[in-house]
Amino acid sequence: MTKFRLSRKSLCIPYAVFLLFFVIAPMLIIVFYAFTDKNNHISFMNFVNFFSDPTKLTTIVYSVVIALITTVVCLLIAFPVAYILARSKIKRKSVILLLFVTPMWINFVLRINAIRELMNWMGLLGETNYFNTVFGMVYDFLPFMILPLYTQISKIDNSLYEACADLGGNAFTSFFRVTLPLSMPGVLSGITMVFLPSMTNYVVSDMLGNSKVTIIGKFIETYFGTNWHMGSMIALILLIVVLLSSFLSGGFREENTRRTTA
Amino acid sequence: MKGKRIISALLSLTILLPALSALGGCASKKEVTLRVYNWEEYIDEGGEGSYEYDYEINEDGSAPPILDDFEEWYEETYGKSVRVEYSTFGTNEDLYNQLKLGDKYDLVCPSEYMIMKLAAEGMIQPLDTAQLDIYNANVSDYIAEIFKKTPAVAGEPLEKYAAGYMWGVTGLVYNPEQVNEETLNESGWKIMLDPAYKNKVTTKDNVRDSYFVGLGIHYREELLALKKQNENGELSDGEYTDRVTELMNRTDEESVKKVTEILKTMKSNIFGFETDTGKSDMVKGTISMNFAWSGDAVYAMDQAEEEEVFLNFHIPEECANLFFDGWVMPKDEKRDKDTELAALAFINFMSRPDNAVRNSYYIGYTSVIAGEEMLDYARDLYSAEDEENAVPYDVSYFFRRGDEDKSAYIINAPAEQLSRQLYAQFPPADTVKRCAVMGYYGEAEEAINELWTQVKGEQLSAWAIVVICAAVVAIVLFIVFTKFGHRIEFRMKPKKGYRLVKQEKLK
Repeated sequence: MTKFRLSRKSLCIPYAVFLLFFVIAPMLIIVFYAFTDKNNHISFMNFVNFFSDPTKLTTIVYSVVIALITTVVCLLIAFPVAYILARSKIKRKSVILLLFVTPMWINFVLRINAIRELMNWMGLLGETNYFNTVFGMVYDFLPFMILPLYTQISKIDNSLYEACADLGGNAFTSFFRVTLPLSMPGVLSGITMVFLPSMTNYVVSDMLGNSKVTIIGKFIETYFGTNWHMGSMIALILLIVVLLSSFLSGGFREENTRRTTA
Repeated sequence: MKGKRIISALLSLTILLPALSALGGCASKKEVTLRVYNWEEYIDEGGEGSYEYDYEINEDGSAPPILDDFEEWYEETYGKSVRVEYSTFGTNEDLYNQLKLGDKYDLVCPSEYMIMKLAAEGMIQPLDTAQLDIYNANVSDYIAEIFKKTPAVAGEPLEKYAAGYMWGVTGLVYNPEQVNEETLNESGWKIMLDPAYKNKVTTKDNVRDSYFVGLGIHYREELLALKKQNENGELSDGEYTDRVTELMNRTDEESVKKVTEILKTMKSNIFGFETDTGKSDMVKGTISMNFAWSGDAVYAMDQAEEEEVFLNFHIPEECANLFFDGWVMPKDEKRDKDTELAALAFINFMSRPDNAVRNSYYIGYTSVIAGEEMLDYARDLYSAEDEENAVPYDVSYFFRRGDEDKSAYIINAPAEQLSRQLYAQFPPADTVKRCAVMGYYGEAEEAINELWTQVKGEQLSAWAIVVICAAVVAIVLFIVFTKFGHRIEFRMKPKKGYRLVKQEKLK
């Protein structure tokens, strides 16, 4: 009997199996449904239907815009926070960081309900549906932006700032020449973690926008009740939009990350 | 070594245990497993929410779930044991998808239109109605008539496939302090478009309820004319209901188009579409009117009363949607006779008036079961305490058997109940005649789902789409250029220590 040896390759098997069953197989099923009709015949009607319907196109454009605004606002809030936390000499930084992250431990629906109550009290509920939706998304995804930024900025070596100062750089220069370029990987992973889910998080738009704001994730959900084929097609199109945006923002460029973190 | 042996012993045990227990199951007498698939929170689950009734309670004083009682009753009555495998679904569409995926159940409880869809697609089998003796003896004549009249598929009545469970009507829950009742009576469903109630009304976030409201507004004049004819005596009650039902089941292109426009206008006027926030928003006063199913309306009114807010229920003058859920049996070749009998016994058990009261009390909807206990229960809930304020409320259309005297079916209710829980649970006879069953859309289903997409989706004028698309293209181009431009530039740069000499200078 040959002895079974645990090589490094065989350690990968569970992950390969996992990927096969829970990532690749479902995607293939989605592709299958997207390009078939009710009788399971190959059909491109869903594709044609999607791109010839102004409402569906407008909705996906709206989703992208809402997600973009959410990401930008998250970035604008999170960068200073992460920078201050990472660079300043205040004590108990971890406690403050923890405070920013704790909301993540509370059930998401509960938090959105609380925000809903708050907005109701302020008289915003039902009046400013799009603002409410973006607000809820920002509130929900902010920790996902702060954490990678904080980790990245706190990794920057202090001697780089000293060198910058020695060479005559002022605070402005040191920010744009040292902090910003070196925190780019954090920014990118933050963007990925905020932009993608905020295109599909329809619970926020349902609760805070009273279902009058529709993002593309809601369409997918509705169609999966009545017409899986159209639902799969929209899911597939969303996947492509997401892949494109990651590609453009450089999420796939390994060398990029390596160069800046080195 | 020792550790390993223990582990292997444990492992073999865990593998063997299920097998052993399966053997044990076989050894005892044969047990029938009944797979029931019902709505969430749609059956008496025992505990604190149960109605205090003279049935056996647990040793600790709490009420047992009705399913336990069924298992016990079945064994006593038939001498066989049954185990109910109970699971729940959230929407009719979920149920349909589960069945389509091949999940097997012995009894499911979809709504009327889904029963029709399942029947049309041949997914359910006819019930052996002769076995449903308790159900047949207790179901309200009014409901039985509807089951006889409404076709499941062309030529086959619903009663062939389904036994009723709960029923209700749609209407508007409103706060009388914030809503002018005169306006409400005049406008009916049209109040959803009334700018005076902008951001004060919600409706359901689903296509069927919204389509019904849209149709109600679109055919308003016709519906009101029919009502007048009925009042004048030109139209018999039965004919009136049929004519309303015909109008409210229209799915032709023209109607769908008109309803789309109506719903789009409605969307800009209402507070929003909701699935379950409507009740609490009513109690808090965020909104003053809410489209509601009668069972939910009863729940909302009960909840509000605890907060000293008194809400009313209104069934619009034009028409309302009569809906019901019923037990049907999905096709399954492997099902044996015993299981089928147990399924029918389950329907019978749930149709016993005392059990119907328990379920009805627990979930707030009105059972399709009449019977003495049910009437006692209604009296118990709604009879007036002081006689001076009492108004006779006739519920004979629901409880009466044949040509019995109506006077036995009158509840002396407090005057305010005429527009509250009692009115929602047992709408009066002259109201239910304008309540129509909205069936399965059939071939129009896709068009009406598409209507919903158009209503719910975002609307933009063409130029705005162009501007946004241009902006996106500009951003994409910008990113591409900065990236690839950078690379090109990088290649052109001279090596360190060299200067780039421009071509012109060399000349």
